Amino acid sequence: MQAFELDRPERLRAHLAQNATVYEVQADGQGGEHWESVTVDDQTAFRSDAATPGFSAKRFFFAEREVLFRFEGGQFLSTLPEVGPQVLFGVHACDLQAVAYQDHFFASDPYYQTRRRATLLVGVDCLESCEGGFCHTMRSGPEVRHGSADLVLLPRQNAAAPWLLLVASQAGADALEGLALSPASDDWVAERQANSQHVARQQGEQADIVNGVALLNAGRIEAATWERLGLQCLGCSGCTSVCPTCSCFAPLDQPGAGGSVQRERVWDSCLYQGFQKETSGHNPSATAGARVQRFWFHKFGDEINTPFEHYGCVGCGRCDRVCPGGIGVHGVMHRVVQA
Amino acid sequence: MQVIPSICTFCGVGCGLGLRVEQGRVIGVEPQPGHPVSQGQLCAKGWSTSFAIDPANRLTMPLIKQHGQFRTASWDEALERVVAEFQAAQEAGGLNAVGVISCARATNEDNYAAQKFARAVLKTNNIDHCARICHSPSVTGLARTLGSGAMTNSVADIDQAELILVIGADVTENHAMIGARMLRAQARGARLIVIDPRKTRLARLADIHLQLRLGSNIALLNGLLQIIFKHGWENATFLAERCEDITPLRQHLAAITPEQTSAATGIAVADLVRVAELFSHSPAAFTAYGMGITQFQSGTNNVMAVSNLVLACGQIGRPGTGINPLRGQNNVQGACDMGCLPNVYPGYQKADEPAVQEKFARAWDTAVPTTPGMTSMGMTQAALQGDLRALMIIGEDPLVTDPDQHRVAHAFEALDFLVVFELTLTETAKMADVVLPVASFVEKDGTFTNCERRVQRIRKAVEAPGSARIDWQILGELAARLGYAGMAWDSAEAVFDEMAAVTPLFSAMSYARLDKHQGLQWPCDENHPQGTAVLHAHNFPLGKARLFPLSQVEPAEGPDAEYPFVFTTHRFHFHYNCGSMTRKSPLLERETPAGLLLINPQDAAAHGWHDLQAVCVRSRRGSLEVRLQLTDDLPPGLVAMPYHFLEAPCNRLTNDAMDPISKMPELKACAVSIEPLPDGVLPHNPIDAMEVGLHASL
Repeated sequence: MQAFELDRPERLRAHLAQNATVYEVQADGQGGEHWESVTVDDQTAFRSDAATPGFSAKRFFFAEREVLFRFEGGQFLSTLPEVGPQVLFGVHACDLQAVAYQDHFFASDPYYQTRRRATLLVGVDCLESCEGGFCHTMRSGPEVRHGSADLVLLPRQNAAAPWLLLVASQAGADALEGLALSPASDDWVAERQANSQHVARQQGEQADIVNGVALLNAGRIEAATWERLGLQCLGCSGCTSVCPTCSCFAPLDQPGAGGSVQRERVWDSCLYQGFQKETSGHNPSATAGARVQRFWFHKFGDEINTPFEHYGCVGCGRCDRVCPGGIGVHGVMHRVVQA
Repeated sequence: MQVIPSICTFCGVGCGLGLRVEQGRVIGVEPQPGHPVSQGQLCAKGWSTSFAIDPANRLTMPLIKQHGQFRTASWDEALERVVAEFQAAQEAGGLNAVGVISCARATNEDNYAAQKFARAVLKTNNIDHCARICHSPSVTGLARTLGSGAMTNSVADIDQAELILVIGADVTENHAMIGARMLRAQARGARLIVIDPRKTRLARLADIHLQLRLGSNIALLNGLLQIIFKHGWENATFLAERCEDITPLRQHLAAITPEQTSAATGIAVADLVRVAELFSHSPAAFTAYGMGITQFQSGTNNVMAVSNLVLACGQIGRPGTGINPLRGQNNVQGACDMGCLPNVYPGYQKADEPAVQEKFARAWDTAVPTTPGMTSMGMTQAALQGDLRALMIIGEDPLVTDPDQHRVAHAFEALDFLVVFELTLTETAKMADVVLPVASFVEKDGTFTNCERRVQRIRKAVEAPGSARIDWQILGELAARLGYAGMAWDSAEAVFDEMAAVTPLFSAMSYARLDKHQGLQWPCDENHPQGTAVLHAHNFPLGKARLFPLSQVEPAEGPDAEYPFVFTTHRFHFHYNCGSMTRKSPLLERETPAGLLLINPQDAAAHGWHDLQAVCVRSRRGSLEVRLQLTDDLPPGLVAMPYHFLEAPCNRLTNDAMDPISKMPELKACAVSIEPLPDGVLPHNPIDAMEVGLHASL
């Protein structure tokens, strides 16, 4: 992998913004962090230590509401999205791992792929663990994993040292054309390893997660435990909305003038009772406990995740934050281990 | 993508919402991290906001009904029609022949404008809104015992409570973020006690669930108090310093025994004693209640019985305590605060006091009415009698949500003129002569006040569809056409500033200060510039609080041979009120089949009925065809129905027996019979012949 020194990440950002819409996580001043577009002459400093935003990069590719087709005048009209070149600047390793997971799931989905192909991913290594994160345990971070980004920014423990920039794909190399950069001389491989170990120590053993996942895959969690957890699930859909790997959707047909119909797909949630209900009324996941169990099998079950070569959980901790019932990933795994 | 901070509209909790806007459309929402009420979380309804406000089936042009059919009209024509009809009604029937029903879902600014329009322009106190059918008994009951009807403490007080007592409230389903906070409090060690005839989620998770017989609230609360007095567990210091003499209450309760209480409520004596001991000994007990207290003909007395218990134990006026009515709608607190009640001006200034009338006549530079106004139920009655001729309904759907639907429909039919302000063509709007399209909460600026008295800002995120306008703008325009120039505001902030200037409770509030403090809780005045988290810390509005002797009042209708089941109503987590917003979500709509009657499996087995059995359920007022859903949420003998579904309008069955003080109808209890439908017959509830005539639509 090619490595360069980079005096300021903002210089790279401005360079990329010449030919693409650049999105970066920005604070809203009210405690929220959102992906927002930045212009070529934006002067705001890039924050490598920005908190994990409420939403991952998921919606850039798997839109929360997307028109799939229209039926008009007796004809079906396909509506692929029109997406110009875009750059996601400063994506954390966990969220990049999730994009890789969804790339696999949506491999033959034209809507997703149209958006995805227009996008350059610029990752950033995390030097400190975020609150509640456990990317090291999930092997998704804190350093951007191989193959999950086009370019990778390396902030330095020594704030005086220049940033480093790794070129991780041909698209990444192409995007640097015209930007003056000098090759890196420092031993960045060792530095990344040291950073990773530092974050691993901050995140600790994560014994509940490790043991809970083992119990889950050994089939040693009682149905009663799941039902008790199910009682805590309000079916709000918060976890599935913010989970960077959740990919389920439902159709929404809206009739228009003259008998026309527009079909959207919208984010769905497997925690809803109606999600798996069949026309006959039969429901394979009839109880709230069964639905909670199913959700966590999808995140951690070996059978489900083998084809993806990764767990369906990247250790971002967003579900812990949004769950009103206190059964985000840590809440669930703690109760599972204690049961 | 832009994220515009706003407030969720799905209940009185007032959660912080970020509206995710793309290409002029709200495509989704996210929770506001660090919000003082919701702490970065939302419930299913909140998360599905984008569907509820989808412009797809919104009204975009005014509609005028002609020969039973609606046609689109210009604003000029529609407003002229409203003006002419209201003038005609008042010429024929006097000033009080017209009325305004405002909206607990609209902003404070809209509600302020509505009551000002009624009083300053129409010269009538006939102004009300739907608090009548959720928490009017809280207002009347707590006015008698404390002097103020609002939640005394704050949502964050749950974090400081040692004991949480929930009475007649399905909190995790209807006020989910408060329910979630209660569960977190329990996880850190607080004790959770739930009093409810249904085994709600919270009841199942509680440390103690008292599954009382439906409607035996006063018997239970009296019984707990009797045990407390008998053991000397009351807070004598608090009673001596903060309350009027309680000798009459003591004497009244001395005649009761725990065994009698047990027989009246169905709760074992040991459980009564345990709860009485825990509640009276707790260093901080937070009491919350909902419509399981208020929606009875004894609603006001039920609230006063809750108040008696809390006052006797001194569980009020400190952090982590309080009497906390959980309000249903996003701005029902604000609609009350703004004076959309016949008897009060903004900030609960009494409409019958000459000094208040003079103050507002001066502030508004016009004469104001001196005759008493009617409640919404009173207006229904007056319409049936021909005394009320023209009615304005702003964003409510009483045809679906009020008791005894036939009577409401008859009343609307009897009117000379009905104008409805609405987002979509609701059942009530279908009966109107003129329908005016309005902007939704994402299309305007303003404020909502949540159940803990926190006034919070909402912000315009997208344009309103078509020619839809904001309620206060429409009212200002109508006022101008009726010759009153005092409502020509140029912004929501101008409306708010005018309101704050005439309302002492809000006098230190401004948009800038609301922004800075993430909302402010009233009273917010020069003595409390940061607002007030805990009311009544040192004294009550009445001075000393009052405890009243109360007797159990049974529901007006009990089971008998002809109608052997007790019937109650409730709500589902996934739907809100009449469903006009939540049912637009394909996910929420999929979640709950319409037309379910919940019944205990033992009852079903005794009659040979199965799950999803199609039945006809009948009360003395009407009948419905529904499917049974077997659940042990309910005890044998009690059946329940959610009220969100037009296809199965449970208010055809409910009783409009009323609380004599608050006029709250008894929506929580009546008697029904159940008969199975023949095999193969699907439940079907055609809109009956009387209704059909009224249901002209586009």
